[in-house]
Amino acid sequence: MKAYAPALAFFAAAGLAPLVVDDAFLLDTLVLILVWGCAAGAWNIAGGYAGQISLGHSAFFGLGAYAAALCGVRWNISPWYGVAIGAAVATAAGTVIGFLANRLRGPYFVIATIAVSQVLLLGAARWRGFTAGSEGIPVPFRAGFWTLGIADKRIWVWIVLGLALAVYLSQLYLERSRRGFQLAAVREDEDAALSLGVRARRLKVAAIAASAAFTAVCGALWAQYVGFVDPLYVFSVDLSVRFSLAAIIGGLGTALGPFLGSLLVTTVETWLRAEFGGLGSHLVGLYLILYGSALILMVRYAPQGLMGFFYRR
Amino acid sequence: MRVVNFAHGEFLMLGMYAAFWAFTLLHADPYLTLVIAVPLFLAVGWASYALIMRPVVHTSHNVQVFTTVGLSIVLQNLALVLWTADARFVRTSYYASVISFGGAVLNLAQAVAFVLAVAATAALFAFMRFSYTGKLMRATAQDRSAAMLMGIDTGRIYALTWSVGIACVGAAGVLLAPIYPVYPTAGLQFVLIAYIAVVLGGLGDMAGALVAALIIATVEVVGSYTIGTSWKEVLYLLLFIAILVVRPAGLFGQRGSETLGV
Amino acid sequence: MSLLTVRRLSKRFGGIAANREISFEVAAGELVGIIGPNGAGKSTLFECISGFYAPDAGEVELEGTRLTGLSPDLVCRRGVARTFQKLRPFQGMTVAENVMVGALTRTRDVRHAREQAHEWLRRVGLLEKANAHARTLSTGQRKRLELARALATGPRLLLLDEVTGGVDQRSIPALVELVRELHAGGLTLLLIEHNMRVVTAVAQRIIALHLGEVIADGAPSAVARSPKVVEAYLGQAYVA
Repeated sequence: MKAYAPALAFFAAAGLAPLVVDDAFLLDTLVLILVWGCAAGAWNIAGGYAGQISLGHSAFFGLGAYAAALCGVRWNISPWYGVAIGAAVATAAGTVIGFLANRLRGPYFVIATIAVSQVLLLGAARWRGFTAGSEGIPVPFRAGFWTLGIADKRIWVWIVLGLALAVYLSQLYLERSRRGFQLAAVREDEDAALSLGVRARRLKVAAIAASAAFTAVCGALWAQYVGFVDPLYVFSVDLSVRFSLAAIIGGLGTALGPFLGSLLVTTVETWLRAEFGGLGSHLVGLYLILYGSALILMVRYAPQGLMGFFYRR
Repeated sequence: MRVVNFAHGEFLMLGMYAAFWAFTLLHADPYLTLVIAVPLFLAVGWASYALIMRPVVHTSHNVQVFTTVGLSIVLQNLALVLWTADARFVRTSYYASVISFGGAVLNLAQAVAFVLAVAATAALFAFMRFSYTGKLMRATAQDRSAAMLMGIDTGRIYALTWSVGIACVGAAGVLLAPIYPVYPTAGLQFVLIAYIAVVLGGLGDMAGALVAALIIATVEVVGSYTIGTSWKEVLYLLLFIAILVVRPAGLFGQRGSETLGV
Repeated sequence: MSLLTVRRLSKRFGGIAANREISFEVAAGELVGIIGPNGAGKSTLFECISGFYAPDAGEVELEGTRLTGLSPDLVCRRGVARTFQKLRPFQGMTVAENVMVGALTRTRDVRHAREQAHEWLRRVGLLEKANAHARTLSTGQRKRLELARALATGPRLLLLDEVTGGVDQRSIPALVELVRELHAGGLTLLLIEHNMRVVTAVAQRIIALHLGEVIADGAPSAVARSPKVVEAYLGQAYVA
């Protein structure tokens, strides 16, 4: 039980915060920490647990975001459907990418994932008739839970916290279930795993598809929260890198790692943005220089990430 | 070297900025800057190898991927912090000049860039094929352990290979500066095409990459005539993905090489 | 009906014919050794049987059911397990977890798999290392781990690729004894071995390969005396 103390602390703090904190900025930061934590956690399922590193996850995020936005703008149905539709489409896309994962290894798979996300970016940016093109879609705010039009940030914290728990528990499941063990074996040595009867190909595809679905749900909720979907952001390589950055800094292949990583990255980022927004906005790049350097150093010398401080393996 | 450099585009971007600042501060024509850029970027390459790549040359692919991704982030944001996100332009006096060639009209700067690029590729190819050092590089690429046993200093070969690569892409940046806007994230669009050309052509095959690049360019142009300019990139990206599905080793690569990873 | 039937198996790599029309049968409960010089095609044969390569021609059957061209995981689930010449433990996992991966092919329950893993570790003599990380094991211990892991999949046929390779002389007898025990328990075994003492000690039958072809197939004493085998592999000194 002691092993879960940090996780319990994290989720308890996140859950109780809305009861004690009133400041909109702080609550907003908390929502973002949780959203990016979920996205990083979702990425972690494919990247950390299945060993399928992708830099194209923004494809799934964007699909979810657009699904939610289009539900509101084009089809006039509840964005909760958008969450489901986004997840479904992303699962299909994830299956396609999983198929690619079985044909390419390492960096070449990474390049393919980037290509897929860029195809979607260009498609969304150019297909004026469907997606309003590169101007993006403003997501309409219709008050009510069913329409996910919620002004109270505290409720948002709890909604996203729900997703965060789902992502966290899914990762835990991967650590102790039969599938999880088999997946770990595939990650370590696919051929050895195959010789032991592990259905490596199928597991990889399933992991990527699950990862895709969760990422899309993040995207859908984020779109409703933020209120605007810009294809150049939502399908960007930057965003994909961001998911992986949080997961790696926090601890690749650990259940809590992505959330810790997001905690660190998001707080610094929002603080810097608040300080330097506007005239000095380019100075916001400073923290990314730090993170880029941290990434280079960590990935070589401290691959356990922040979680490595809690548990010496 | 069997390493994919995800910061490749950022070195291109640095080349573009080098041309820009040389032009703005020293009024140096980009083609003049080119002469200095090559040794400059060789040095930059050597430094970046020693500082960043050497520790990870023998680690897993994932570590290498994220090392270069980290480098990419650092360089992009360094440019952002130092020079802001404003797009810069290298407006040479001949920026809009064209030359007529047969029935076609070509932008002068683009034409020159093309000629120099082909010449550089040919030179590089000849170097790899016929020079002693080139042979050393190819031997090391094929079997590092055997190369070491043959007395080849693989560390230096890697440093050289890396530096030559950086020098090439830096020079490419200088050549592109008169044609395209210069901003911190300019690298991505170009580097994606480069990756695609390399994978499409077949990993490790230089001639293949050139052929693939020409194919991509053709698809792009033909696409923009038939379907419209806004969809041309989608076209070659989809082509890329389609070819990966059908023949992951690329057009000229050895079958099965893609599943060995690198 | 024999357990394993290999019929005219052929595999080429570019200009090299690694396996040429190899045919033999293995009866249930047999322990067959496969010998031959380097490059004879022994490992290729294993790769073809276990599904890592698809042969260009010929068939592999397990009790009448086709194995040819099946993926390795399917071959394992049909009842054929193997070890690798170059050891491949799952480095990031503990010893017990390594074996569990094999056990989980037969059972869905993780707890049950853990129990089975411990049982196999006890059989191969690695139980006290159960919670150690796989990467801390010595070569001999890693060999046992590979063995336990493969056995956990509950195979009817086990392919052992140079199980004594790289193991120090002192540890070999114990390893050989283990192989004997497994055989006595009813397991059918196919061994690739370079160590002639080991092969002649345990094998009931030896198949000799040279340049991709079977050049001898029979009792150890007969094979050791076969002129073709002597010429290709053993050298004159070995003719007993």
